[in-house]
This record gives sequence, structure tokens and C-alpha cells, in this order.
Amino acid sequence: MRFLYSVFIVAVLSAAAAYFLPWWSVAVVCFLAAMFMKQSGGRAFLMGFCGVGLQWLTIALLSDVANDHILSSRMASLFHLPSYVLFIAVTVFIGGLVGGLAALAGALLSPKAAVRQV
Amino acid sequence: MTGEKPKKIKPGRWVLLVLTTVFIYLLDKPLGGLPAIGRLLDPMAGCWANAEPVNEDFSTAIKLPGLQKASVWLDERLVPHIHTETEHDAYFMQGYIHATFRLWQMDMQARAAAGRVSEVVGEKAFRFDRKQRRKGMVFAAENSLRAMESDPATKAMMDAYTEGVNYYISQLRYRDLPLEYKLMGFKPEPWANLKIALLLKYMADDLSGKVDDLGMTFLKGILDSGQMERLFPEKIQGSTPVIPSGTVFEQPSLAPKRVPDKKTLFPSFQPDDFGEVREDGKGSNNWVLSGSKTASGAAILCNDPHLGLNLPSLWFEVQLQAPGLNVYGASLPGTPGVVIGFNDSVSWGFTNNYRDVKDYYLINPVANEKNKYWFGGNQLAFSPRIEKIGIKGKPDFLDTISYTIHGPVMYDNNYGERDGMKKMLAVCWMAYRPTNELKAVYMLNKARNYNEFVDAIMNFQCPAQNIAYADRQGDIAVWGQGQFVNKWKDQGRFVMDGTDSATLWQELIPMRENPHVLNPPQGYVASANQNVTDSTYPYHDRGGFVELRAWRINQVLSGLSKARVEDMFALQNETYSYLAANIVPGLLKYTASVQSRYLDGLRQWDYRLTAESEPATFFQVWWSFFYGEVWYPLLGGHVPNNLMPLHERTMQLFLSDVHPLKGVPVDGYYSAIVSRSYRMATDSMARSEKQGSTQWYNIKNTTVSHLAKLPAFSFDHLKVGGWGNTVNATKRDHGPSWRMVVQMGKEIEAYGVYPGGQSGNPGSRYYADFLQHWADGKYYRLLFLPNSEQQDDKQVRWKWSIN
Repeated sequence: MRFLYSVFIVAVLSAAAAYFLPWWSVAVVCFLAAMFMKQSGGRAFLMGFCGVGLQWLTIALLSDVANDHILSSRMASLFHLPSYVLFIAVTVFIGGLVGGLAALAGALLSPKAAVRQV
Repeated sequence: MTGEKPKKIKPGRWVLLVLTTVFIYLLDKPLGGLPAIGRLLDPMAGCWANAEPVNEDFSTAIKLPGLQKASVWLDERLVPHIHTETEHDAYFMQGYIHATFRLWQMDMQARAAAGRVSEVVGEKAFRFDRKQRRKGMVFAAENSLRAMESDPATKAMMDAYTEGVNYYISQLRYRDLPLEYKLMGFKPEPWANLKIALLLKYMADDLSGKVDDLGMTFLKGILDSGQMERLFPEKIQGSTPVIPSGTVFEQPSLAPKRVPDKKTLFPSFQPDDFGEVREDGKGSNNWVLSGSKTASGAAILCNDPHLGLNLPSLWFEVQLQAPGLNVYGASLPGTPGVVIGFNDSVSWGFTNNYRDVKDYYLINPVANEKNKYWFGGNQLAFSPRIEKIGIKGKPDFLDTISYTIHGPVMYDNNYGERDGMKKMLAVCWMAYRPTNELKAVYMLNKARNYNEFVDAIMNFQCPAQNIAYADRQGDIAVWGQGQFVNKWKDQGRFVMDGTDSATLWQELIPMRENPHVLNPPQGYVASANQNVTDSTYPYHDRGGFVELRAWRINQVLSGLSKARVEDMFALQNETYSYLAANIVPGLLKYTASVQSRYLDGLRQWDYRLTAESEPATFFQVWWSFFYGEVWYPLLGGHVPNNLMPLHERTMQLFLSDVHPLKGVPVDGYYSAIVSRSYRMATDSMARSEKQGSTQWYNIKNTTVSHLAKLPAFSFDHLKVGGWGNTVNATKRDHGPSWRMVVQMGKEIEAYGVYPGGQSGNPGSRYYADFLQHWADGKYYRLLFLPNSEQQDDKQVRWKWSIN
């Protein structure tokens, strides 16, 4: 439950950050969040991955459905992907990877994590 | 927790942070040919922000500084109808709206005109850019800009338009940028009046920039003058000129020029002096019918300019309203006003007039004097112009272009490349003159009658155009318009000796003496790039005219009475090939004894190049081999610009059995060519059949390409018939770029369609929503609103309230 909360919070905070700041601000959110939480590296990665992934998925899906997949189909074809679904998947994966890596980096540098592992 | 002592973090743990930072940095930078992936995929501001909802509500209220109250109604096809209190506001809004829907396109096309594409795409556009500079495109635009800005009306028009574009640009955030900026990784720069001039010169180059002087010069060296005139007649036999025969021309105010009595007017070249690849000519149709020929009794004007088929489309429909102005039609994104259209009194349209306005001169540099050349026995100094070509990721390239009394030196030993010449050739081109075509557009948009139409087009100097006119009073007219030089016969037909002052362009023909006709007895006027005049025209007006479509249009219109707009739709979309109708019986005569399904197909064929037709494919393939077999052996395979006699001339020689070079009938001469080309055609068809359908549209592959040549944003294999030899001149990447039919009755009834959509955004449903309609030969009824602050037409879907 706590994990789901953290994912949700990362999603909301990264959405807010990306709205006002450059796209990579989502990584800063994940990094900081992981730094101040006590959790294993794996869980941190998952939190960042799912948090940013969820945010990117939500916004991409909302845009895509309202758009009848026009843009996503053309972008998919531009990148030689067979379907717009894959273009959404690639989007979510890249967002998730950025969030996951940033959170993992945060967890590794977290003072709390350092304490726990000693 | 408070009691725990913080331990030192091991240095190895920082590695991931560094790696992650590098990873994100890379996602934020374009790499190789790829865009910045992270920035592009970010759903908040990246490409997803360009996914326009299909049920987007375009209604809005906007505050715009310096404008009075204004309204923009968008109809269901996203055509803006702009109502303003002043002309300034109308053109400001037009700029603002063009930028809203077509910013990237305007930007790119202005860059293309100026030779500035490499700045944003890198080295791959360098050759293109350099050619634009060598051609003097920026020089030409700067000259015209001076004329445009010294005229108060066009100055005000451009300033307002540019202000509107720039206001739109100034409030853009990254997420609002057109998708292509995100893909290509650059940002819009401020608009400028110079860009308007550049775009107009881009059109001038498209329409008057390709001439056959180099090819002609080559052919003159291998053919005698009788053969030249036979293969490339000044006025082709049987021509149905734009200005109908029998029309009396204005008395010439200038004496016709005599050919200077010299042998050295034209230099001669060797075959290996050349190598330019020919581009196919651009065509267009327009015609006007007077009330005596129509069912309604009102005049009808039709126009379909054939230009490059691209997305975002070349054209953008718009209606502009201000006091004294209510005009609807096709506008060019990046320029103010309506180019082809109608207002509440008059309508007009354009086709290209191929009268020659661009010539080449051989320059003779002074030996040992790098900066001088010979002219009229004197040494003149070149005036250098330095062109700085910016190349993304590379240092700038500086090209010094020498300007002569004739114009810029296009080719010299620094610049020949694949393009052409090692010899020094200068270009003289009407487009270099300080002309103000925008003034013509400005005045046409407000013209109320024939006289005002004529006053307007007196400003239309280059490119030369056949401008058709019809009004609600029932007047119809066509002018073969442009600024022309009083040339001697063949002046500028070949590369000229640039040292001889006799070859210099001299006096200009007064534009009011240009060929024109008002309300001819035949009740219609038609232009389709054919000869403009018959031989009674007092000045020399040679050019690269073609006749096939004109023959057909004249054939149809002369037989027409009580014409309705539907008849006009049918004619604009007609795929009947005048060439095939004449050639096929001739070809079949020679192959009467041959049995084959291809020939059976041709024997039953109705000469229509319909989309599904297979005989059409076979005819086109056969004719193309036949044409090659007639000319390549005689003229060699290396004629510059791939210049060959016209298809219509080839047809005439074949049908009269005349040997192309000997000029007399030679028994059986064509028989061998027919059977040789027949074999080649059947082989080629058999190969194509193995690869798929040989229906005409499939082989022809009409493609509407995105301007950045991205197949994902393009459409190919459109199911359209026709070819350059039919009225519906839809070729592979050229075709009717805007079809318009306007009936100028008590109520104006206007129809139009273009192969694209109003939005330039590939993520919008309005990106290419007219395309299928266009391919199907269908039209939209154009919504022409009365000049009023209130609109209740049910086709109006959205409203922008300004201030």
C-alpha cells in the first residue's frame, strides 16, 4: 500500500514539475523522492519507473483517445513501429526508465539507505 | 532515528547518478538523424501536445494589442472568415492565423527560398541552398522588397501581416510549437517582410525559373535552322492560342526589334559543356465562360493551378473582411491577401504564361584581371555579393557571387558541379527587377469591375501569368500578363554572347499592350499554358508553351452551351487524352496484324486515363518508349535539360509520316520505331504485372509528400487518373493544387477543393481531410459570408472574439 502511495505521489509531483519545468524535471522528482525514503534500490527503481510511467501513460492516453490515434499512428509509422499501441508503449517505457534510474540513483545516495545497509 | 550516526556514502554509489544524468542529457539532445527522444516523447510538451482532439473546440476569446474589435468565424472545414474594422486588422489577423495553422511550413518555405535550409537540417541541404544563392533568390527578393516597401499600401499590408505572425510566435511555448520543430530541433525565428518577398520569388522561380536556353544552345550546334524550326516551332501548327485568333491587338507603341546583323550573338558549346537535369514544366488551366454559354446566364470562372503536391498544402483558404474588402480564396501561407479567388464583384485565376523572361549570357572575363569582364568593348568590374550559407554543425560557407550588367554569374569554375557548366554564365531574369506583385494581389482583392482588375494586374510583372477574369456584370477576360522585353526574334532563345551590347535586354513593352481579350464573340476564353497569341501579335513572344490540354479544353468548351457548374467540375477532372486519341489509331495501324491482349485493350479503349484503366498504362508506357526511340537516336542521349521536342510536335510528325530531320515523308520510317517500342512496352508491362497491379493509378503513384519528405506524414498511390496530357493533369508529385469554380451570378456560387487540409499539423484531423474529396473529383461549396459583424450561417462552427 505504501508503495502504491509512493508511485501515485511520484506521478502527481512529476506531472506538476513537467507542467512548469522542462521534461527532465521528472527525474529530479524521482531522485529526491527516493533520497528521502527508506527503501531498497529495487523498490526505488520500481517506484520511479511506475510513477513516471503512470504519469506519461495517463497523459499520452488522454491525448491519444481524444485524438482518435491520429498523431500516435503517424508517429508510430515515422519510427517504423507497426502500431500506435507500440508508440505509446515506447513513450511509457522511456518515461519509466528515466524515472526508475533517477529514483535508483536517489536511493543509492540516500543517507537513510546508507544507514540501513550498514 | 535521531540516534543513528550518518555513515559515509561509498563513492561507487555516485556512478549511477552520473550515468543517469548522462542518459537524460542524451535524451534531451538530437543524436545523428534522431530527434531529442526524451523531449519529443514527453507527453506534457512533446509530440503528444500536438495530438489535437478530434472534437476540438476552436472557439476562444483573444486579446490582441493594437487591434480593434474583430471576429474570426471558423467553418466546419476550418476555413477562417475574418471580419475586422480596418485593413490593418484584417492582414494582422491573416498573419496570426497563417501562423496558427501553418507556421512551420511558412518558415521552411521562406528558408528554402532564401537558401537557408542547411541552417536547420545540416549539410544535406547545402547543394540546394547554394543553388538558391547562385540563382540570386535573395538578391531578387531584396530588390522587390524595396519596391513593396516604397508603396504605402503594400508596406502597410506587409507590416500588419508580419506583426500578426510575430505576435503569434512571441507567445509560443515549446509545447505549442508545430510538431516538425520538435522533430527537427529548431525554433521559429521572427517573421519579416523580406520573407514575404522571398516567398513570392519562390513562386516566381517555380513558374518562370526553368528555361530551355542551355538545351537549345546545344541543339543549335547539331541541327540546322530548318530542323530547329521543325522540331521547336515558335507557334505550333494548329495552336488554339489563349487570346483567340481574330482578336485585334493593341497598336504597338514600340517598333519591333530587328535582329542585330552580327554572327556572334550566340556562342556555341560542346556537348560535354552541359549536364543539367530537366524538371518537368508546371502547368495549369483556367477558363471563363460568358453568360451566353451558361445555363444560369451568369459568367463562370474556373481555375486549377498545377503545382507541387505537398503537405502542409501550398494553399490555405481564407475569407477577409474589412470596410471595402470582402474576398475569399486561396492564400499562400507566409504572404498577405488572397492570390486566387473572388470578392463580391469579381473573380480571377492564374495559369502560367511561359513567355520567356529568363536568359543566359556567356561572360568573357578579362585575362589576368580577375575582377573584370568584357562588355561592349569595355572592361567592366564585377560587383561581388557575398552569400553566407549557414550549415548546422559546420562552419559557415562563404560564396562570392559576381554580378554583371546582365545579372548574377550562376555558373563559373567555382560552381558547376553536376549542374552545368564550367563556362561562366550569367543569368538575366525579370524576377530580379524591383517588381511589386503584392500590389496586384492587394488591388485584385478589392477590385469591383474590369477596369479595376486591369489596373490591379498592371502591377503583376513576374512570373508571367495568364490571368482570367469574370464578374457579376457578365464580363469575361484573359490577359497574358507580365513585364516583357521588346526582344528581337530569337533573343534569349539560346545562350547569348554577354560581351556584345546588342544582346542586352532593352526597352520594356508597356504592360497595357500585353495580349488580352475582353468578351470575345466565341463566349469563352481558355488558357492551359499554350501559345498566348497567334502570329498577328506584333511583338516577339516565344516561350515554352504546350498545347495538348488547351486543344482539349477548347474542343469541349466550343461545343458547350447552357453550361452548369457540374460541367465545369467534369472538365477539370477529365482524363481524356487528346494525345492518345490521336496517337493510338496511328500506332494500331502499324500493329493491325499483331495479336495481344495489350493491343486488344487499346483497340477498345476510350482514351481516358482513368485511375483503374490498364490500357491507359500500356499507352503511357508505349508512348514513352516510342518518344524516346524517336528522339534519342537523333539528338543523342545527353541533351542538356533533357530537352526534346514537345509531345504534340512528335505526334504531328508521326501522324504526317514526316522524318524529323529530313522534313519529308519517309516511307516506313516510323514502322520500325513502332515495333521496337512496342516490344519494349510489352516487356515492361510484363515485368510490372509480376510486381502487382498495372492499373494506371498504381503505376503512376500520385504522391502528396510532406515538405520534410517524411513518408509517415505523406500519402501515396492516390487513386487518381490523368496525366500531363489530360485536363486533369495529376502526375506523380504535381497536379491541380487548387480547383476552383465560381459562378458570378446575383448570388455568387463558388466551389473549391485542394489536396490537403487547413491545418498543417500532422496530429490534426484537419491535416489532410480534403485529400480523398480531391482525389474523387469532388468539390466543397465555399462559404462566402456577407461583410457583416453578425453571422448566423449554420456552417459556422466556431468563433474567435478579438478584444
